[in-house]
Amino acid sequence: MTRAGRVVPVLLALTLPLWLGSPYFLHVVIMAGIFGILALSLNLLLGYTGQLSLGHAAFFGIGAYTSALLTLRLEWSFWLALPGAVAAAGLAGWLIGRLALKLRGAYFVLVTISFAGVIALVSVNWMDVTNGPLGLPGVPAPALGPWSLRAKSVYYYLVLVAVLLAYLVCRRLVASRIGRAFVALRENEALAESVGVDVTHYLVLAAVVSAAMAGMAGSLYAHYTRFVSPEVFLFSYTVTMVIMVVAGGKGTLAGPLVGALIFTALPEVLRAVTSWQWQMLAYGVLLVLLVFFLPRGIVPALAAWRARNAP
Amino acid sequence: MNGLVLGGTYALLGIGLTLIFGLMNVVNFAHGEFYTLGAYAAFATLGLAGTHFVAAVLAAIACGVALGAVCELTLLRPLRAESIDTTMLVMIGVWITMQNGELLLWGGVAKSIPHPFPTAPLVLGPVSIAPLRVFVLVLAAGLIVASYLLIHKTQLGMAMRATFQDRDTAALMGVRIGRIHTATFAFGSGLAAAAGALLGPVFLVYPSMGDLAALKAFSVVILGGLGNLPGATLGGLLLGVAEELGAGYVSSGYRDAVGFVIIILVLLLRPAGLFAKQERIG
Amino acid sequence: MVTRWIVLVALVLAAIATTPGPAQSQAPIKIGVIEPLSGPVAASGNYVRMGAEIARDWLNARGGVNGRKIDLVIEDNKSDPKEAASAAEKLIVRDRVPAIMGAWGSSMTLAAMPKLEEYGVPMVVETSSAASITKRGNPWIFRISPPSEMEALGLEQYVDKLGVKRADFLAVNTDWGRGAISAFGDMLKRRGAVVGAAEFMDQAATDMNAQLTKIKGTGGDTLFLTTAVEQITLVMKQAQEQRLARKIITTGGSSSPTQLVKQAGAAAEGSYHIVFFMPWFPEAMPDGKLARMFVDEWSKRGHPFEGLTEGFRGHDGIATLAEAIRVAGKDEPKAIRDALWKVSLVGVNGPIKFEKDGPAGKESGQSKPSIFVVQIKDGKVALPW
Repeated sequence: MTRAGRVVPVLLALTLPLWLGSPYFLHVVIMAGIFGILALSLNLLLGYTGQLSLGHAAFFGIGAYTSALLTLRLEWSFWLALPGAVAAAGLAGWLIGRLALKLRGAYFVLVTISFAGVIALVSVNWMDVTNGPLGLPGVPAPALGPWSLRAKSVYYYLVLVAVLLAYLVCRRLVASRIGRAFVALRENEALAESVGVDVTHYLVLAAVVSAAMAGMAGSLYAHYTRFVSPEVFLFSYTVTMVIMVVAGGKGTLAGPLVGALIFTALPEVLRAVTSWQWQMLAYGVLLVLLVFFLPRGIVPALAAWRARNAP
Repeated sequence: MNGLVLGGTYALLGIGLTLIFGLMNVVNFAHGEFYTLGAYAAFATLGLAGTHFVAAVLAAIACGVALGAVCELTLLRPLRAESIDTTMLVMIGVWITMQNGELLLWGGVAKSIPHPFPTAPLVLGPVSIAPLRVFVLVLAAGLIVASYLLIHKTQLGMAMRATFQDRDTAALMGVRIGRIHTATFAFGSGLAAAAGALLGPVFLVYPSMGDLAALKAFSVVILGGLGNLPGATLGGLLLGVAEELGAGYVSSGYRDAVGFVIIILVLLLRPAGLFAKQERIG
Repeated sequence: MVTRWIVLVALVLAAIATTPGPAQSQAPIKIGVIEPLSGPVAASGNYVRMGAEIARDWLNARGGVNGRKIDLVIEDNKSDPKEAASAAEKLIVRDRVPAIMGAWGSSMTLAAMPKLEEYGVPMVVETSSAASITKRGNPWIFRISPPSEMEALGLEQYVDKLGVKRADFLAVNTDWGRGAISAFGDMLKRRGAVVGAAEFMDQAATDMNAQLTKIKGTGGDTLFLTTAVEQITLVMKQAQEQRLARKIITTGGSSSPTQLVKQAGAAAEGSYHIVFFMPWFPEAMPDGKLARMFVDEWSKRGHPFEGLTEGFRGHDGIATLAEAIRVAGKDEPKAIRDALWKVSLVGVNGPIKFEKDGPAGKESGQSKPSIFVVQIKDGKVALPW
């Protein structure tokens, strides 16, 4: 990529609120950013260690609830609540990692689904803490000293920083020895073990980082929408994450981000061009078509196309 | 008693899914939608004048089989070389499409399927159960038995078992893997549709009814062990009964948690499933 | 090749940049509508939409409001609070609606509320029952549906006539169900009745036998049921199978007794239902003529009769907003909000007039809707006394 090719997108991203115009578009971009972090986190497990977690919404929800409760009930500052949410989610990830370390494939998937199911039910029934189905309205927006970060254009920068952070963490991890161990695990676990890769240690590590990242996304979500209810545990959120990762291109770093952008924008685009009866039907059909024509995902397909057309 | 009725249908769903998942290695997220489709097909058939209830169930099965075959041929077969996540994603797309298609065709209002059975419950000692549920149980049992016969007594079944055990050898022996895949998917989908047609009159028919059913199906598959038919059957019955009993003792809000906790425990303690003897179908 | 790309990009930019032109005096007045049109409660959302469309068509047939036609911009919140917030944002920013009606479920309404405050756009709440909606200090909220407390008060006068001495509750595990249990429980205790068991069911649950068995064991005489009509059908059928012999009273107004008669049959016999609209006896409603006209128009459009108990909400919501716009003289959000405090009209349910509710200085508006009780007798819906 040329110098300009790298600088221009960065400049565009940094100045986005200025030229994007409509706050509605900004809203879509912010949501895309939050889901981008989620997709990156899921990609760590799915794309790099090869383990599919279908309970990732649980970590997202734990992060959201923890952050909301810490700021609402204990009146912590957002800047303390965010690490709190990350820690809580990371802890949950550690639990899953350790519990499920014997399981692979379909069995791991099912434990994650069941875990998410139990957490969802707890959030609905534990009225004293989570307020059950009534949810937690009025979650405060973060403040930096005397300035509130409530405004969308400002919150955008917060999310942008978080996305960059998540991306960098993933990149460092993947490029390091740990990352190579992940890939070794994914490709051939028995072989990896035989050359001394401590399988359980790395899987648990992946689970913790992945969950912690999802928790961060949850906290950002809670303070943006300022309302948390058990619906964050909806399976549809997990499904959306999976779509973003796999359609974007699992096992790549840019894939989940591209997937997040496209699949956050897609329902909104459909909202604008079709009437409500056809929106979700079109979404499903488009998804099938996308997978059919680009089975490896968008980013790998683009890379392959570029490689073919390289001079 | 109700646990058995539920369990019987969970078993039907589980058998279909365990075959699809076990043999084809496809995470069939659309399995719940074939269940829903079966219920709607039965509803639509009964809407035509004077069709008998059993005919409606058969029509539902036919629908499931047909659409399942179409899905496999058009979507899964071309993607067979891709990873399991890709096929999973395409089935997610099918799931969304089917559910919203049903919403568009029949609307969001729940439909009730008329049935020819009296509503007064039969009383057998301390147990009272509606005649409809007895019928459902009987028919479910019949279908389960039929599945066994298919897997164990027919050429097709033998081919399926061979493909499951060792795909390459089976191919070398002349088994047409492609056809086996189509047959497996169609069969599994047909069973799911049957479950939907059977449970439709007991409960109600609405587009999102398949979501929870699919989740239960996956649980049953794991409980019983991948590819393990008697495992899936017993697993289904067990889950149905456990849910019924569990709800009696645990606060009703946490009722579904019983199923989840059981799954987690089973997976932690006996990952191959409760009933796995060895990895094989049948 | 290059030209093709340029054309494509230009088309995309044009599509994105297409925003509604400046409002002229003859341009239609837009009202946003956010309802669950897909997902588990799609039926209810669609009924409300149908009612809203009838209101719009009647208004336009009479020349519109202030000489301009009414245009409904309808969005689906997919039964998800996150979508409700996105829909509100899109309606306000892209479509520039000056007012909204929505969003059916309480958590969907709560999720959209911050957007209303952010942009300063009023919303008429037509179905949600959570008390917190009007108590949160959001001055852009105006509710025409009753919170559970009001519903319970509405039933209070009939408690003795119904002979409720020992009541149990079975409710869907959502804010609505829990709110109902707490509101009705308090009311019953005030009247000296005893509250027995309070059981819950998951929104998607189809088998409630375990809960019914527990309830059977309490020896109560009344069961209060709060959930959507599909689950009510299932509960009644299962209660019949279990031979649970006691009075059933459904709350919330969404129980659609007609649908229950059709689908639960004999299992629904003798049950009572709190409704906010009696399409079987439109003349008994506060504005009998309007109610009758609504019922006739609904059936003329081929909509299912059982949807009337929810569809009227859509009509009343739009009628309220239209009246506010008329009083305000313009379709500007703040003016409409101020006008909402002044409106006094009669909808299908009855008189609509907003009173202050919530913390001082930031009150929301709450109207006091009429509440009715009907009973299913001999397979038909009847007035109980």
